[in-house]
Amino acid sequence: MTTEREHRGTVPPKILVVDDEARIRDACQAVLKDAGYEVTVAEDGAKGLACIEKTHFDIVLLDLMMPSVSGFEVLAKVRALHSDTVVIVITGYATVEHSIEAMKSGAFDFIPKPFTPDHLRVTVSKAIDYMRALRDIADTRSRIRTMIQRLSDGVMCTNQENRVVMVNPAFLQMVGYTGVASAMDRRCDAVISIARIRQMIAQTLAASGEDTLERTDEIEYGEDAEGQPRILSVRCTPFRDHAGATMGVITVLHDITTLKKLDRIKSEFVSRVSHEIRGPMNSVLMQLQVILDGLAGKVTDKQQEILARASEKIRNLAQMATELLDLSRIESGLISQEVEKIDLSGLLREQIEFQRPRAEAASIRLELDAPDRLPPVTGHYRNLEEVFSNLIGNGIKYTPAGGRVKVTASSDYETLTVKVADTGIGIAEEDQKRVFQRFYRVRNEQTRYIQGTGLGLSLVKKIVESHHGRVKIDSRPGRGTTFSVSLPCAAA
Amino acid sequence: MTDKQLILVVDDDPDLVESVSMKLESAGYRVGKAYDGIEAMDRIKEERPDLIILDVMMPRKNGYELCDELKKSDEYKDIIVVLLTAVADAVTSTKYTHMEGKSTLADDYIPKPIELDRLMEIVKDQLQ
Repeated sequence: MTTEREHRGTVPPKILVVDDEARIRDACQAVLKDAGYEVTVAEDGAKGLACIEKTHFDIVLLDLMMPSVSGFEVLAKVRALHSDTVVIVITGYATVEHSIEAMKSGAFDFIPKPFTPDHLRVTVSKAIDYMRALRDIADTRSRIRTMIQRLSDGVMCTNQENRVVMVNPAFLQMVGYTGVASAMDRRCDAVISIARIRQMIAQTLAASGEDTLERTDEIEYGEDAEGQPRILSVRCTPFRDHAGATMGVITVLHDITTLKKLDRIKSEFVSRVSHEIRGPMNSVLMQLQVILDGLAGKVTDKQQEILARASEKIRNLAQMATELLDLSRIESGLISQEVEKIDLSGLLREQIEFQRPRAEAASIRLELDAPDRLPPVTGHYRNLEEVFSNLIGNGIKYTPAGGRVKVTASSDYETLTVKVADTGIGIAEEDQKRVFQRFYRVRNEQTRYIQGTGLGLSLVKKIVESHHGRVKIDSRPGRGTTFSVSLPCAAA
Repeated sequence: MTDKQLILVVDDDPDLVESVSMKLESAGYRVGKAYDGIEAMDRIKEERPDLIILDVMMPRKNGYELCDELKKSDEYKDIIVVLLTAVADAVTSTKYTHMEGKSTLADDYIPKPIELDRLMEIVKDQLQ
């Protein structure tokens, strides 16, 4: 906006002085030229009219009392031809009532004769500011209008009476408005046949002052080019005046059919690929086991060692495929429906017993400190199991022999917190945020021989967040790491 | 020979069937093989197995369908069925999913990738 003003400022504003008194004309011309304006003078109404018809002026200084063509006629002509031209009336004290008359007909201000050069300068400069402000508003309005008209999202603005104040073609197309008449100023129920959108607009409009929440929903309406149901995301936002009173509602429609379709294709693809990959890997794992068991003939120690390492790698890959599948399921929101009340202390006990053989094999003490009864949480059993199996498993993996992994559970009335603390190698500060990123693994000489998919912690975070909980990490390299998971307790 | 118990291994992956069979045979069981649900039914009709290790995802007739069929028939409902399924697949069928695929119909369940020693424990337990 400023740059526009500055740009305009380089072209001097054009001023026309219409007065039959030569003294006034000369004085105005001298003062205004000095102030940097481009000045034209006309010695009577008829000449003034001719100038106005030929050129666009920013400001017209107009004497009202002139012979033959009066100032009022010139004023009317200016208003008719150039609505943005600002007219300042010059008049004697005796005819102040004429000035008021002129301002009623659209003049911006008046200067009583006689006037000082300063008075003239100030009045003109004020008029220039006014003119520029008007133009800025007009430009902004036109820019916003064009922008909104061209948006591929549907936008509609309704007022307190639920009438359409502004609407773009995309919106009308999306809601299937086929009315011949313009939708402007019509009641929104005459424009929108979709009950859900009307309801959302009404609720948004009725919302109290503190409720600034916009309302969002996804609805199926109509069909796309392929005859598939079209999915629209609807967002209703209240807009308020400076005192905070709701003046109306802005409704934005976004066609997310393609997005939804791509999302589904992506999930199907990931799910397919991981199925196809997991099958053969599982089969190879079994073949290796059969050989390792000596069922296919004697195996040397060296062969045994190589095959065991190969198995470990393939098991890791199979695990990665499973975790990818889980991630895509969580992302697609597929699991959210299958929730139940879960007793975490039971789940943790099971997990500890499940992991104990691994911990013992690695000479790590595995401890659980949890009350017999914890308030239940609402969630997906297998997913929560996955969270703690990942965290405990990580603790065991990244803790050297002789160390300890301790699981502590506690609760207040609202939140249940489970801490998994190890005495392992720890995570450097710069890695602490990144370990939750997909496929990120801390790589250094200590982790080189530890197998992992890089998906475990991102899965943990996704699952915990889908349960409205949080995961925190607290770690010191060389000392150990504590992961804290807090989950909201289920409503009684 | 007939005092040896017969186990039918059903999976559409012949390599997996072979591996499981080798392990079972080494433990002294007799093993039958089938590669989909329909073939499995034919084998069952030829000679009634004591236990079936049954994959879930198979062409023509899947493991759930075969399991249902067996458990609903008077003749075959006593045959022990151990379902073989990838953990993540358990989500797909609500009827069998509770507690990771331990269905009310199948007798037990083992997740893929199969730990052969774990499989042997389950088989031994079930056949006692």
